[in-house]
Amino acid sequence: MNIYLYDGSTEGLFSAIDHVLRHEPDPSAVVLGRREPGLFEEGVVLTTDRERADVLVRRFSSAFPRNAREVMYALFSEKEEIATVLLHYIHMVARHGGQVGAHLTHPVVNEVHLLACKVARELNRMKGLLRFAMLEDGSYLAKMEPDYNIIQPLSSFFTRRLGAQEWFIYDVGRGLVSRWDGSTLQYGALESFHAPALAPEEQEVRRCWKTFFSHIAIPERKNERLQKSCMPMKYWKYLVEKE
Amino acid sequence: METIEKLRILSGSARYDASCASSGSTRSGGKGSLGNASSGGICHSWSDDGRCISLLKVLLSNDCRYDCAYCVNRSSNRIPRASFTVEELVDLTVKFYRRNYIEGLFLSSAVMHGPDETMGRMVSVVRKLRREERFFGYIHMKVIPGCSDELLREAGLYADRLSVNIELPSQASLNLLAPQKDKQSILKPMAFLGNAIGESARERRKNRKAPRFSPAGQSTQMIIGASPESDYQILRLSEGLYRKMSLKRVYYSAYVPVNEDRRLPALRTPPLLREHRLYQADWLLRLYGFTAEEILSEEYPQLDEQLDPKAAWALRHPEYFPVDVNRAEYAALLRIPGVGVTSARRIVSARRFAPLTPEGLKKVGVVMKRARYFITCSGRPVERLIDRPALVRGRLLLADGATVSPSSQQRQLSLPGL
Ligand code: SF4
Repeated sequence: MNIYLYDGSTEGLFSAIDHVLRHEPDPSAVVLGRREPGLFEEGVVLTTDRERADVLVRRFSSAFPRNAREVMYALFSEKEEIATVLLHYIHMVARHGGQVGAHLTHPVVNEVHLLACKVARELNRMKGLLRFAMLEDGSYLAKMEPDYNIIQPLSSFFTRRLGAQEWFIYDVGRGLVSRWDGSTLQYGALESFHAPALAPEEQEVRRCWKTFFSHIAIPERKNERLQKSCMPMKYWKYLVEKE
Repeated sequence: METIEKLRILSGSARYDASCASSGSTRSGGKGSLGNASSGGICHSWSDDGRCISLLKVLLSNDCRYDCAYCVNRSSNRIPRASFTVEELVDLTVKFYRRNYIEGLFLSSAVMHGPDETMGRMVSVVRKLRREERFFGYIHMKVIPGCSDELLREAGLYADRLSVNIELPSQASLNLLAPQKDKQSILKPMAFLGNAIGESARERRKNRKAPRFSPAGQSTQMIIGASPESDYQILRLSEGLYRKMSLKRVYYSAYVPVNEDRRLPALRTPPLLREHRLYQADWLLRLYGFTAEEILSEEYPQLDEQLDPKAAWALRHPEYFPVDVNRAEYAALLRIPGVGVTSARRIVSARRFAPLTPEGLKKVGVVMKRARYFITCSGRPVERLIDRPALVRGRLLLADGATVSPSSQQRQLSLPGL
């Protein structure tokens, strides 16, 4: 069994996968791991070749768009052993074609699929649960603490939905932020965060929303269990209606 | 009156409406426009009754001149009355939308001075949203029966979905409980919308630029348990609406006793379980290829409250089973209890690679504790009990009672009203 190590970045991962696919006779027997600096390491350390990573991602995405989506979503799960699983998955797809993605009883396909489903589910939830607040300067800020690293697909969704306003989405747990200025989307990391002042109308709009929220429920049908199972409490922290 | 006070009254009066669906339409504008409609439908919150909140669901006014027995807003009730101005409602919608509280607007209204005046004002709201605010979010509008064709036509140009409430499942019940409404005034606009929706879809196949008319189709809703119709009558009615009027959805709303009235049944709680079973049966009509006659009949006019309608059907039809998951066609897979639309599709694709085993079935999402009695895997049975329906029924109930029953309510209600 051959072990390879990469630097932990997304480009590093795809460049490593590219390397293994080209040089290893049997990629399905290869283990791919993240290099932990300072640890006694076992395995071949690969340097990251951004260009190669780029080419692989582009080719794979255009040849197998559906499988590529599953790969990206599985990657957003940030699961520990994801690198090896994705290597094996990409290898299978490259060999057998995109339909192999439907071979759900195969352990590799199954794992990628399940992870992608979990991430997609949280992404869908967040499309609804994200709350923007209007700031003093007229831009909007939304904070969240999702389980998975979904800031990219989520932000690109909001460029289409709220494209005419300026906004920030802030992943508090990961310290990541995305910024839309009305025409371009940028990502960055945030070291410290100062809560900016809210626009004067913000409190009134929130009061209206809370009023709506409490009066739209039918008292005779009260069902908190159902509410919590559809909208787990871990998401309540940033919900205006639950503050 | 302040806007927030109106919002309190007019969302409170709208809450008994069943549907909050926002699916079935895609819409997006160019630069500088606000929002887009996404075809899957998105829930933005869940209210304390566990129902999905997708749209700002309000009445334009609760000041009604009609006197329907079952309705909080009826003219004989002494309750606070309010009406939004066009500007107020447009402003609220935009402010909520920009903060991602909602997917769009669900606009309904009590009948103010008359159908045309009311519908006209509702149309003004959506016209302003679409034209002046360049709002591309989702809009669902109720039709006020008796309004003019011109208003219907204009509403269809702005709304993603229109709906005419059928209210009660029979003419006799309408006469008794909603004396100012009649079957004709409900079916006529429905037929009008059906034609206009079909026509616009045909036009748009020829020319992508042709105007859209209520692109997410039309739906309706009826109140369950305020009148004596059987489930069989209700399902036959729904089936007819799906087939003849090509409705997208029929919503069922368990009657909540809000008024004291001799014409109404005395219920202690709303018939939620019955509503749930009707929704399940409705899914069988729309997505699983069942007919109303297969689900119920004159001799068995009520749905089994303990068992879901598909399992109940399966137990009455042992001759249909076992179904072999590795050979049966898609339509036959759909009839197996514990197999849904998604898992049936996955079975069909996954078995091309290798025959499915009970383990594999679990992986593709089949609920084995239900399916196990009805299937074979490449000739091998999982459980040889199909000729003993009473025993299987007992086991299914047991399986349900253990885990499904309290949450069976959830499965239907948590759907974003697809
Ligand atoms: S028309 Fe009937 S159902 Fe509609 S608001 Fe008036 S009283 Fe209620």
